[in-house]
Amino acid sequence: MKYAGFVFANLRRNPLRTALTGGAILLAVLLVCILLTMPEGLDGFLDNIASDTRISVHNKAGIVYPMPYSFTRKVRQLDGVAAAVAQTWFGGAFEEEGRVTFPNFAVEAEHVGAVWPDYDIPQKQLDDFRRYRDGAIVGRGTMKKYGWKIGDRITLRSTVFPLSPDLRIVGEIPNSQAPMVWINRELVDQALRAGGGPGLGFAGVIWVRVADPNRVNDIMRTIDDMSRNSEAETATETEKSFFSNFFGSLQGFARIILLVTGLVALCIVFIAANTASMAVRERAPEIAVLKAIGFSRRVIFGTILAEAVLLSAVAGGLGTALAFLLTRILHNASTWNPQLGPLASFVLTPAIFIQGLFLALFVGMLAGLVPSVGAARKPVVQALHEIF
Amino acid sequence: MSAPMIRVEGVSRSYRRGVEEVHALANVSLEIETGRFVAFMGPSGSGKSTLLNLVAGIDRPSAGSVIVAGRRLNDLDEDELAEWRARHVGLIFQFFNLIPVLSARENVALPLLLTHLDRGERRARAETALRIVGLSDRVDHSPKTLSGGEQQRVAIARAIVTDPDLIVADEPTGDLDARNAEDILGLLRRLTDDFGKTIVMVTHDPRALRFVDLALHLDKGILLEGAEAERAHQAITLAAGGALTTGAHSVAP
Repeated sequence: MKYAGFVFANLRRNPLRTALTGGAILLAVLLVCILLTMPEGLDGFLDNIASDTRISVHNKAGIVYPMPYSFTRKVRQLDGVAAAVAQTWFGGAFEEEGRVTFPNFAVEAEHVGAVWPDYDIPQKQLDDFRRYRDGAIVGRGTMKKYGWKIGDRITLRSTVFPLSPDLRIVGEIPNSQAPMVWINRELVDQALRAGGGPGLGFAGVIWVRVADPNRVNDIMRTIDDMSRNSEAETATETEKSFFSNFFGSLQGFARIILLVTGLVALCIVFIAANTASMAVRERAPEIAVLKAIGFSRRVIFGTILAEAVLLSAVAGGLGTALAFLLTRILHNASTWNPQLGPLASFVLTPAIFIQGLFLALFVGMLAGLVPSVGAARKPVVQALHEIF
Repeated sequence: MSAPMIRVEGVSRSYRRGVEEVHALANVSLEIETGRFVAFMGPSGSGKSTLLNLVAGIDRPSAGSVIVAGRRLNDLDEDELAEWRARHVGLIFQFFNLIPVLSARENVALPLLLTHLDRGERRARAETALRIVGLSDRVDHSPKTLSGGEQQRVAIARAIVTDPDLIVADEPTGDLDARNAEDILGLLRRLTDDFGKTIVMVTHDPRALRFVDLALHLDKGILLEGAEAERAHQAITLAAGGALTTGAHSVAP
């Protein structure tokens, strides 16, 4: 501790350089901390919107391939199935935008409430959805985005079917992270029939709610067995797994970002090491004198290393604190801006906080190691020769 | 009769410069008694700084032995030498080499960081050393606010703060004007007279002859003796314009 004043004094030697080096380390740690929140943030996001007792059934060949609508009824009759609903991608574009900007599906109005009871859609709104064939239930995020309210009428032009139904908003999904719009399957079916077609005889995904969480695996296996050797063999998975696969590419992207961030952190190590080396070179005469008056190699090594580690630790501490603050702000902002989506789930956990601090210490140690070893190893007579 | 503070016996020092072998010192022997103020003089490349480094425990001889304050320095490794210097030697350099971000007091207290003294004692000793060199009103000044002479006084305070057996000065007046050079030489003389310090100094400054007890002349790595030493001594006196009144004598070891 008695060398602390000496170490602090050396850090004050060139305030601008100290500030710039510290700033670079701070930003690197901030960036890494924010990115480290991504995997857990996505998990949290999935926890918020998905359930382990809800399972999705889709064509084994992929979710773009349909299944016979009749299969929904068979699934619904299975022992242990609490509710099931057929969902078909409608691909409706809001007429004012001309493109699909939110997910929208045709669903069975009478079953949707039983499959997603955790969405807490008021019973009256579910009743209205059943009552009005042109009814639609809209996610809160989408409601806010377009400034819609219950009772408004909107027109969606389907990019899948030759339909542009005029819809009445009868309900809202209170979950701010659910952007989807549900429209009544019967409306689509009858409109297609009215156009001379066979109606909506297929489903894209069948969502199933299982009564007993312990039976989820059994029921998934039973459903897949039921469709075996049919035209549309199914692949069944939990809702969480379904969305997880859906976000899989995003997580892969997150891994790439983490890799790039790691490389950025390594660059910061080199920059900080170079800066520390320059600082030590500038002080070569002083270091030579310190050695001459009796400072041992250990003390020279320790004080130079301590300088780099102290700067990194302070910058890293500020970086992690700033990351914490930023994630809190995003989280709080999500209450009034649902468009933040998964960003609101990015929380700086104590583990990430510690990782950030360790990264800073690691940067400091590596950056300080080269110049401190160099300064400590040089024999005193050689150090004096080089300067006098 | 007490043992000499410094005993150099048959010391040679050579080193390689590329493919060339440079003989900086050849078979030098001398003794310096405690409480003496001694100057090593000679032209550039004469080996006086090499000899000073050996006596200060900064360098080790290629042959022969160096014994200072009863310790044979040849036996010590780099770390042991550092520890020995911290306890027994005070060093003064030509270019002061103070730490610019520390105050005068903090600079002086630096060698005390290597002791077990607490902060208060380190502070008190540093202030005492600064008072001895006449800078008690400059303790909180940073080096850049001090004149060259004052900075060298701070460096001298740093050299004496640990109460070393030996003070070693390498061209202490080399970067000072005439008046400051005389002040510094007078201060070093006083350290010998008032505190009994043994001082060994490398210098080109002929004024130093008025302050030292003994001037040893080196040339081409050899310590001059007898008539050669007397001639070198006279040459320096004449170079100073003959106005130099000196009590220092060149003596053979």
